[in-house]
Amino acid sequence: MNATIASEPATKKQATTRRINWGRIVSYLVLLFFAVIYLGPLLMLLSTSLKTMPDFMKNATALPATLNFQNYADAWEKANFPRYLTNTILYTVSATVIYLISAVFVGFPLARGYVKGAGFLLTLYIIALFLPVALIPQFQLMLSLGLYNNPFGYVMLFLVNPIGIVILVNYFKTLPIELDEAAAMDGCGYLRFVATVILPLSRPAIATVAVLHAIGIWNELILPTIYLTNKDYYPITRGMIVFQGVYGSDWPTLAAAVLIMTLPMLVIFLVLQRYIVSGLTAGAVKG
Amino acid sequence: MANYHFGRGKARWAPYLLLLPGFFFYLLIMLGPSLATSVYSFTDATGIRGAPVNWVGLDNYKEFLFMGQASRDNYDALWRTLVFCFGVTTIQFTLGLIMSVVVNQKLRGINFFRTLYFMPVILGAVIQGLIWSLFLYPLGGPMAQLLGAVGIQSEFLGGQPSEAFAWVMAVQIWANMGITMMIFIAGLQTIPEELYEAAKIDGASPWSVFRNVTWPLLTPAVNTNLILNIIGSLQAWQLFLVLIGYRNGTQVLGYLIFAQAFGQTSGSVTSAFRQGYGAAASIVLFCLVLVIGMSVQVFLRRREKRILG
Repeated sequence: MNATIASEPATKKQATTRRINWGRIVSYLVLLFFAVIYLGPLLMLLSTSLKTMPDFMKNATALPATLNFQNYADAWEKANFPRYLTNTILYTVSATVIYLISAVFVGFPLARGYVKGAGFLLTLYIIALFLPVALIPQFQLMLSLGLYNNPFGYVMLFLVNPIGIVILVNYFKTLPIELDEAAAMDGCGYLRFVATVILPLSRPAIATVAVLHAIGIWNELILPTIYLTNKDYYPITRGMIVFQGVYGSDWPTLAAAVLIMTLPMLVIFLVLQRYIVSGLTAGAVKG
Repeated sequence: MANYHFGRGKARWAPYLLLLPGFFFYLLIMLGPSLATSVYSFTDATGIRGAPVNWVGLDNYKEFLFMGQASRDNYDALWRTLVFCFGVTTIQFTLGLIMSVVVNQKLRGINFFRTLYFMPVILGAVIQGLIWSLFLYPLGGPMAQLLGAVGIQSEFLGGQPSEAFAWVMAVQIWANMGITMMIFIAGLQTIPEELYEAAKIDGASPWSVFRNVTWPLLTPAVNTNLILNIIGSLQAWQLFLVLIGYRNGTQVLGYLIFAQAFGQTSGSVTSAFRQGYGAAASIVLFCLVLVIGMSVQVFLRRREKRILG
């Protein structure tokens, strides 16, 4: 699974490593040093989550004497996980699906020039990456539409993602135009063509954008803080911050809660790594 | 316009109609509000529904820039934003470059390390922040023990503002170094193998190979990373929220805007919603991003022309 991240590590260092053996040794030392920095906080989290509170107070870094899984049950209950997780999943899935469908129908005609001013429209999407944050007028808008503290309004905020459009357009441009011509010749309509030909052909790009967008929604903290005041609507991020406010000193339970929240992300990351990496570094080198 | 294949007359409208929903939401949720920020910066808008909104001209800007203690605090926040940006960009850029070269070798288990370094990127500010709050637990946490062993006592995130600030910077770098690294790796993999082989035949030292082959050919990745890091760190503030909350002596502009416009939601205390003022602060931040981003862009373009011709 790890091999997916970059299938072919370059061989160019072979020369160096054959000549100077310590090059390899230094490399491993650097790798290990950073592995400690990156793994250490996670291991600390795991170890703390399995301790009792008195154990933790006595010695924060010692390994747990007995494995105390009670923390997980406590955290699950106290942090209101079932509710918040359900909310997060609902927000993430619904917004990602709606966004993706609309984005394909924005990206495709822009890539093909099937609408007037396609170049200008695309520029409008790129510009947004540099403009001031939309936060304040957006809030005023939602307020006047009566969508404040409303789960539908909250989902609406995530129906937009200019980077995703740019990634899709770049991918659509690589699909041969002969496809369109042949399909049209066979009497296939525009909607059917995009839905049954373009969509399946673009699976890699669509997966990339989907993962990118979904991770953003899943991790979002600011927007729920601003827009959702009813506890029943909280996503898991907001719930965690509130939980931390209340149980801030009870680190074993808090650590268990953080781990419960981290695990799904780690699993998704390991399974979809390729798409995540390409999404986050998309267009980076070719510009 | 390219020739459209899917019919004429009414059928010609299909792409327009299907494009409309996505574009409509884009205008409504993002582009419109983004442009309207400048309009709101001249008003006394609050976050209260139905409250009157009055035109106040340049008052918000005057207050932000020239009014006593408040404006001195703002300048402090502005300065801190620049420090944060400079520190995060230089360190993250350098580490990302070094790690990409290290990780791009054929070594046993290399994919594991690469994956590990990239992992925090997807966790998001809440998890990143909470993980580090625990790691920096002042009463005998791992970092406290480590520093204690060399005789340093620290309160970490609860200590001096400047110290807390530095730790947020460290966590920010820890969290995002993986992206920088991955972009460099993508760049490294575009460099043709033959160049390295030619250098090897010429008997070039590893450093001179890096200096004369890798570094110049990495220019596109360098540009991307610098711009992304600079713009990203000028606007970043979520880790401040999770790690230390709204605390005097640590705020950056992004957090200041949020606190003014939506109340200081640390704990249950909510201060007034001064959205007009917050919008003015957003425009100040935007100008900062624009000026710095543009000058760096110009510098990078010239550099690229010099190197790649």
